[in-house]
Amino acid sequence: MSSEYPPTMPAEYADIEFENNAQRLPLVLCLDISSSMAGAPIQTLNTALAEWTRELQEDVSLSYSVEVAVVTFGGRFGVCSWRGPQLLDARAGVSPFVPAHMFQAPQLAASGVTLMTEALELSMRIIAARKAELRASGLQYYRPQICLVTDGLPTDATGHFTETWRRLIPVLEEEQRNRRFRLYAIGVGGITELGEQVLRNFAPKFNARIQGFPFRELLQMMSASANAEQKGAGDEVFEKIFSQFKTQRPAWES
Amino acid sequence: MTDRTVFLDGRAVVLVEPPLKSGGQAAVYAVRGDQQVVVKLYHDMPGPDQERRLTRMRTMSPLGGRPLDSAQPPELAWPTAIARNSQGKFIGYAMRRFGEPQHVQLVGLFTRSQRLKRFPDRADWRFLLGVGWNLAFMTARMHHEKLVIGDFSSNNVVVDANGFVTFLDCDSIAFTDEKSGEVFPCLMHTTDYSAPERQAGGPATAASDDFALAVLVYQLLTAGNHPFGGVARDSVSQSGVKDNIVSSVSYVVRPELVTVPRSTLDPSVLPPELLVLARSAFGIGVHDPEFRPSAEAWLRALDKERRQVKRCATRPLHVYGSHLNACPWCARATTTGHDVFNPPVPAGVPPVPPNPPKPAFGPPQIAVAVLLALLVIVILVAAVAGG
Repeated sequence: MSSEYPPTMPAEYADIEFENNAQRLPLVLCLDISSSMAGAPIQTLNTALAEWTRELQEDVSLSYSVEVAVVTFGGRFGVCSWRGPQLLDARAGVSPFVPAHMFQAPQLAASGVTLMTEALELSMRIIAARKAELRASGLQYYRPQICLVTDGLPTDATGHFTETWRRLIPVLEEEQRNRRFRLYAIGVGGITELGEQVLRNFAPKFNARIQGFPFRELLQMMSASANAEQKGAGDEVFEKIFSQFKTQRPAWES
Repeated sequence: MTDRTVFLDGRAVVLVEPPLKSGGQAAVYAVRGDQQVVVKLYHDMPGPDQERRLTRMRTMSPLGGRPLDSAQPPELAWPTAIARNSQGKFIGYAMRRFGEPQHVQLVGLFTRSQRLKRFPDRADWRFLLGVGWNLAFMTARMHHEKLVIGDFSSNNVVVDANGFVTFLDCDSIAFTDEKSGEVFPCLMHTTDYSAPERQAGGPATAASDDFALAVLVYQLLTAGNHPFGGVARDSVSQSGVKDNIVSSVSYVVRPELVTVPRSTLDPSVLPPELLVLARSAFGIGVHDPEFRPSAEAWLRALDKERRQVKRCATRPLHVYGSHLNACPWCARATTTGHDVFNPPVPAGVPPVPPNPPKPAFGPPQIAVAVLLALLVIVILVAAVAGG
């Protein structure tokens, strides 16, 4: 689809943004790419992202209003945002959100430490900025979704476990109570009991510890949730969608 | 995952995993070896009332069972069989498949990029008008048969290349079983198309369908603008389309209350008669269902316009209302650089010459008079039969 409007051509891109005045649904994928994700997990993630991107672009309804931003923690630069496949310079002040029908998945490589707290803070900042931008241009938005995925524990820049994540709890609690976004916190791979506890504190209702690396199912759950948001579904529908995701057994385990 | 076997009216079929679509309530599966059918299975074991509803629906043949023109797909994805598991428990139902690329969700007509991709060289304003006509026609006849669509939105109606429409998710319609008197309510709705009384938890009615129809027709005639789009001047930051509906804030009626995106079309692209209907639906009709134009009123006004649209001599796919003296799409392309119906022109390439005359637009070229007459006859017959 995007061949006609490559995101590298700002003029045409502006034209696309201009023509669609649908209510928007900002979606942030906040992904752990620290060293423990190296090897098969990061490859699985890249493949799943590419497949999900294709599905998202083909989905007439979701591609109408979903816009995707990627935030990563780990890698060479610590915490980063991506505009599709393009790594953003934090100082440039460019919005990382890309309309779903033009989104292209980045190629992620795993290394480095787990600055989970900072990544969530960046996710909240870009959502707040995007909301202000949308509202200023007369565009409405649905409740944004953040999908935090990790296989580890929050660390500091030297890779040691840190308690700084606790500063997020009251913030997240208030933001979620005020319906400013919906946070999904998913632990994958060999995440520990303590790691799971962190996620439970971040997202009391929408946290899960899933065996293996079922990124594909996870991203499909995000799409189902986006669909429910577009429909204006009640909280119980989101809980149902999430519990279906939580209890499913990935194909490769059966 | 192992593929599942279910029984459709007793006949064993194998469903293809993973489902084509899965939502909060149900999942829709393809059937192995049968491209024509899909099966919708509820996630939770459905209750006896849902089974009675589907069983009752199987005995009904709404809208005369099939369209008049065989080139036209059915207007309703009506249940064709009851699905049961190996223990004989009711778990869902089968219906005809209305898949892409032949059938596209209505929302695919609401942006230029999707129109160009899914309806190449045909989705001009006359096409959009025709789709609106088909929607109004379907709605009018459903209401005549005492069926309420209930969950009416741009996501559960699909459109084909000729502009014919099919309503999906028929298992949520509201109706009363004439024999037993049992009421089957519609429990689903899509908030961006829900009249305030439905958002407040009220039942689906013909009037709430008329509200959704008005929104859909307006979106079609403006190439995708939601009449309750835009940011209300005194709103809280989270307010969206549904909030504008509840507080009756539409730029179509009260432009001074809303900051709209700069791409929003001026409502005057609607011919006056249609604009009057839109203004009563999005103004006084928001909170007073009595003032919402009926599906029949929309049908009449759309039909009148359909026979007198004007075609632009300068650019392809530019068709506009008979009330305008100049092409509004050209005017817009000149002022904004954005052509609503044609792809952006790469710099340095001369503009595309107008297309040669295209084949006529899809819906059967039977004069609406005939169809309306038919509707009247049906009503008379029903009245006689009922009396």
